[in-house]
Amino acid sequence: MSAGDKKGRFVQTTVEVEGRTETRVVELPAFEPTPWTADAPLTIVGTSPLRTDAFEKVTGRARYTADTVRPGMLHAVLVRAPIAKGTLNALALDRARAMPGVRGVLGPGDAPPGTRLFRRDISYAGQPLAAVCAESLLEAERAAHALAASLDLTPAPHAATVEDALASDAPSVRSAGNATAPAVVERGDVTRGLAEAEVTVTREYRTPVALHSALEPHGAVAEWNGDQLTIWESTQGIFRVRNDVARALGVPQAKVRVLKDYMGGGFGAKNGAGAHTYVAALFARALGAPVRCVNDRRGEQMDTGNRPATVQKVTLGATRDGTLTAVALEAWVPLGISGWEGGPAQIYHEMYSCPNVRTSEVSVYINAGGMQAFRGPGYVEGAFALEGAMNALARTLQMDPVALRRKNLATHDERTGRPFSGNRLDECYVEGMRRFNWPSTVHRPPSTVTRAKRGIGMAAETWPTGGGPPSYANVRINSDGSVDVLAGTQDLGTGARTIFAQIAAEALGASLASVRTVIGDTERLPYTGNSWGSMTTPSVGPAVRMAAEDAKTHLLAAAAPMLNAPIERLSTRDSQVCVDGAPALAFSDLCRRLGNVQIVGHGSRGPNPELAIVTVGAQFAEVEVDTETGVVRVLRIVAVHDAGRIINPALADSQLHGGIIQGVGYALFEERHMDRARGVPLNANLHDYKVPTMADVPVIDALFLGGADPAANHVGARGIAEPPIIPTAPAIAAAVADALGVEVCALPLTPWRVLGALAG
Amino acid sequence: MHLTVNGSPREVDSQRFPTLLAALRDQLGLTGPKLSCGHGECGACTVRLNGDLVYACLSLTAACEGAQIETVEGLAAGENLHPLQQAFITHDATQCGFCTPGQLMAAAALLERNPSPSEEEIRTAMSGNLCRCGTYPKIVAAIRAVAAGANG
Ligand code: FES
Ligand code: FES
Repeated sequence: MSAGDKKGRFVQTTVEVEGRTETRVVELPAFEPTPWTADAPLTIVGTSPLRTDAFEKVTGRARYTADTVRPGMLHAVLVRAPIAKGTLNALALDRARAMPGVRGVLGPGDAPPGTRLFRRDISYAGQPLAAVCAESLLEAERAAHALAASLDLTPAPHAATVEDALASDAPSVRSAGNATAPAVVERGDVTRGLAEAEVTVTREYRTPVALHSALEPHGAVAEWNGDQLTIWESTQGIFRVRNDVARALGVPQAKVRVLKDYMGGGFGAKNGAGAHTYVAALFARALGAPVRCVNDRRGEQMDTGNRPATVQKVTLGATRDGTLTAVALEAWVPLGISGWEGGPAQIYHEMYSCPNVRTSEVSVYINAGGMQAFRGPGYVEGAFALEGAMNALARTLQMDPVALRRKNLATHDERTGRPFSGNRLDECYVEGMRRFNWPSTVHRPPSTVTRAKRGIGMAAETWPTGGGPPSYANVRINSDGSVDVLAGTQDLGTGARTIFAQIAAEALGASLASVRTVIGDTERLPYTGNSWGSMTTPSVGPAVRMAAEDAKTHLLAAAAPMLNAPIERLSTRDSQVCVDGAPALAFSDLCRRLGNVQIVGHGSRGPNPELAIVTVGAQFAEVEVDTETGVVRVLRIVAVHDAGRIINPALADSQLHGGIIQGVGYALFEERHMDRARGVPLNANLHDYKVPTMADVPVIDALFLGGADPAANHVGARGIAEPPIIPTAPAIAAAVADALGVEVCALPLTPWRVLGALAG
Repeated sequence: MHLTVNGSPREVDSQRFPTLLAALRDQLGLTGPKLSCGHGECGACTVRLNGDLVYACLSLTAACEGAQIETVEGLAAGENLHPLQQAFITHDATQCGFCTPGQLMAAAALLERNPSPSEEEIRTAMSGNLCRCGTYPKIVAAIRAVAAGANG
């Protein structure tokens, strides 16, 4: 594998995290296993054994953070700002402290500066102002209510929308200005590209603020033992939580242990420590007892991140035959009070081949909870507008939208100039059309139901899924021949435990049943990065494989003298060492003879190749629109994606389903509504913020093409979790436009918006 | 307060644990039912009360005197999983698993009421139980398999 600079043991490599390119220094692994190519004779990887932890989940034995009980545990509750901007003058901390069961309160000035907690200046509704700790959750809630009622506040003018924040008399949201200078990225010359165009389309798209809404809220349990802090946390990144807490509290990382067993979803919102973590740790230290702090649903919906809204003005230019000559975007992204600057632009540079692309993004700060990465951040928003404009261009050109896309297929990553490690998007289009029976499948409704109109539409996606270093894993063979895979990663519900057991069993030649994956402990397990950016499998998978190969080398070296055969004649299969392919010595017998001599293999993730590593795909949607009520029903979705090797097809199906169903929610229902006058969210719950139910789910026919991408990494797998949500909403919007003959350029496609479009 | 929980007589304190969910989770240590919204919006806390499906987060402990409560912990008969539990495993009808206990209770109640529901009936009956991971197609498949007697 190539790396930027091969001179030393430490080299530079690039890693794309949630669509953002980072340069990292990485130590070269001691060896790189030979890549598993598409025709590698694998017997466990590529099959669908059952989830290793399904039994715990169906019996209720799986322990989530809020199920953690410690002896003498206390309960903490946060008090949040009910206004968007202003000052906290006073609150009745002493009265709360005297309430039944209350053991402690924290308010302004009580938290270390590193936690940024309990400030008097309020800059969004939901901001933590104080916290209470009591013997029971009920007592803590009662005291928190009393504190909330005691808040003496001076409200100040706030900005709830892009327009509010950019107005000439706008209140100041942050001292550095309410908006960033436009971040412009251009290749070629868009002005020239537009001059060369025979057809142009210009549209303005709007996307809503969407909330992650994982069913398990953020939460932590903290316990001090002397100066040693243990935290149970629902998180996508145990090491990041550890480092956040160590920094904020000013304690060494070695004194903080973060544990995560089961977690109830994350979707990007659980990537570090939060107010709940610090509050649990602070109370636990002050009170000398374990403390649990779990967000209530309102706090969860107000203050744990969101997919920010966007306004995207898109212009596409093309010649009559559909060749793109220009792609231009002007975007405004209201991040909330904080977040990543930069939003939907990157997909405009990567999705299609076009010599002239210009994007300009303005990040706007408003008085609302800050953004956090949410499944396919930026690309989901960007795809809605880019793919919407592509479909509008296809209509203008009277061209099939798939044909238009195939005409402009990217042959390499034109943003970075890098070749793809593998990219079978064209096959995705072809297979998708075949499965959908595109475009001849519109089942016109029975003539008696004239108000129901059906339509079809499609859209495509690309998403960087290379993963990368650093990630480490160990594979340990116990004295009975059973195998532990040790990696400090996390399973969000994706099936990471199962996947790493499969990879280790395959590489070691062990039976899958003998392998268990141990994850989620910063103290006892080797470092891996956060489970975000669809990175876990392509980052940790190669480290696990290398560790298993390393263990196998040691195992065979130990077996050779016992079997009186040279290592070259030995192999492993189904937890047996074979001589010339014939089983000769079970791992269990071998390890028993070794006694307490322990075989441990070490693995690490090497640098990335200088290639563009992306997961691509296309989705096709059929909808029915009730033109009297404006209700849109999605009837079916066909999805075909290419992510290289699929380690476990059943688990991959769940990622497809999950992404598509969240995409249906984004398309049809999901939107945080703000009371603009007060700057307070109106639907910070799961009833008025509507996520899809079982009744909303279309017929889904979804697959990954499979094969392998040995150029991406030696396991041959790219990431899969985020790509499936990206094209769903634009495909649905295209189908709605097809049904109605009118485009709806804003999400969600609510009845009133659909009826509004119909009324012109 | 006396309740029968998963077949065993139990005592709970309705003063300290006013909701049935708090009594089950925090007093009795039955953490299968989950707290997600606390307002009857999601179904993560679904249990059965005298056979009926209820959101335990909205059920008052004080109103449960003498009631029969079933939680996910009581679904299996000893070591033998309930056919729905087995089908959820076989059909991979869990992702994060946080909604799973509630989904299982809702599915069990549905099949007792209607042993062979249509897909439409399943979707309607189960739509009070959210799954943010989007495991719905596999949950439907698991329920259908049990209804068809083809679990496992
Ligand atoms: S926690 Fe009871 S319905 Fe959501
Ligand atoms: S499996 Fe995660 S919420 Fe249903």
